[in-house]
Amino acid sequence: MRALWPGLRAIIIKDIVVELRARQVLPTMVVLGMLIVFILRMAAEPGSTTIGGAVMGVAALWIAFLFSGLLAQERSFAAEQQNGCMDGLLLAPLDAGTIYLAKLLANVIMLTIFEVIVVPIAVISFNLHIAGGWLRLVAVLLLGNLGISSIGTLFSAAVQLTRTRGSLLSIVVLVILMPMMIPATFALLVLFGAMPEEAQNLASVRGSGTLTFVGSFKAAIGYMLAFDAVFVVASWLLFGVVVEE
Amino acid sequence: MRRLLFALAFILLVASTWIGLTQGQIVPVQRNILYAHVPNSVCALLCFVVLLVASIGYLIAGRQAWDLAAVASAEAGLVFATILNATGMLFSRAEWNVWWTASPRLVTSAILWFLYAVYLILRASLPGSQYRRARICAVFGIIAFLDVPLVFVSARFIPDIHRPNFSFDSPWQSAALMLGMAGAAILAAALIWLRTSLLRSGVELENQLRQ
Repeated sequence: MRALWPGLRAIIIKDIVVELRARQVLPTMVVLGMLIVFILRMAAEPGSTTIGGAVMGVAALWIAFLFSGLLAQERSFAAEQQNGCMDGLLLAPLDAGTIYLAKLLANVIMLTIFEVIVVPIAVISFNLHIAGGWLRLVAVLLLGNLGISSIGTLFSAAVQLTRTRGSLLSIVVLVILMPMMIPATFALLVLFGAMPEEAQNLASVRGSGTLTFVGSFKAAIGYMLAFDAVFVVASWLLFGVVVEE
Repeated sequence: MRRLLFALAFILLVASTWIGLTQGQIVPVQRNILYAHVPNSVCALLCFVVLLVASIGYLIAGRQAWDLAAVASAEAGLVFATILNATGMLFSRAEWNVWWTASPRLVTSAILWFLYAVYLILRASLPGSQYRRARICAVFGIIAFLDVPLVFVSARFIPDIHRPNFSFDSPWQSAALMLGMAGAAILAAALIWLRTSLLRSGVELENQLRQ
């Protein structure tokens, strides 16, 4: 652990400093996220029920996270392609897994900054009422953030050098994240009051629908934790295979 | 040998269909599609297991045969997953009057199809050396497999509009299903084998042309 920390910290600080000086991706992410929120806001008419607004708000939030996250993840290794920076990183006396963890944490930090800006905007524009409490909202967002970033960071390194970098990364990441979006959507629906906390008790919805199969808010958190753990550990172990020349 | 496998699969599938349509008919009529649907769904999953084993095999041994087997099983898996979803939709329309509904099992079948499709697109888009491409595809195969079981396993234990357990009232019906399963499994094996050797011929041809 002590050997891991200096390298980890150096790469994270490098990525954050580069971003602060060049401001390449964070402004784009934020504007893209706001655009997604506002475009989906058009569909949630004021005349529609509050439930409809909450459902659209949840959709807007996850879509914004997924696509803005993709922007950050794609940049995180695209920036290393110039001037042979990737070779420099790989030549550093670090385990490949450490490079992955550092890049992952840098992406998580970027997406967290993004969430701090965009979540309040979405809450205001969809007039969302946070029934479940702020703390639980933050927990769900962070778990989603980690899952999105873990897969994105791994495959960002893989799709560099391809002509269709961004679009290829997006389909690879979205298809892997698709199962995780089920509990993630459920959890946010519960927090915004559009879904009862224990969906199992609803006789009318029992037995059909993917969201109700998640069952309860606790189960949704459990599923997300499981996905995060699987994604992070598998990516950490397999990253060396991806970047090896 | 391979021709024998194809012939055997053909005979078994015809026999399964024959029995299913004569002695083993299920009432109402649309449920007879299970003789095609269930074997195909089992094969779609089996191909994923082959894909996982081949991907791990490639990362450990580094031999190209493993990589080609992984691609072949993804191609076969895409075919089976397409038939699985298509027959499922026909049944769903006849039985529940909707083409598709977001029931857990239907969602996981759709995800399976997407994973195969993205695997093949990823493979076609990666440039550079074949080793790098094979490694990245193997990583995708492993992560995709880790991603899916969590969903499949949980989907088995939940109440669902989709019936997991069918009870047959005549031995003919189970015989038809078993024959169908055997036929489809042999067909899957033969297809993977055929595609692997075709891909290997392609690689050898490329190498010869380059020299």
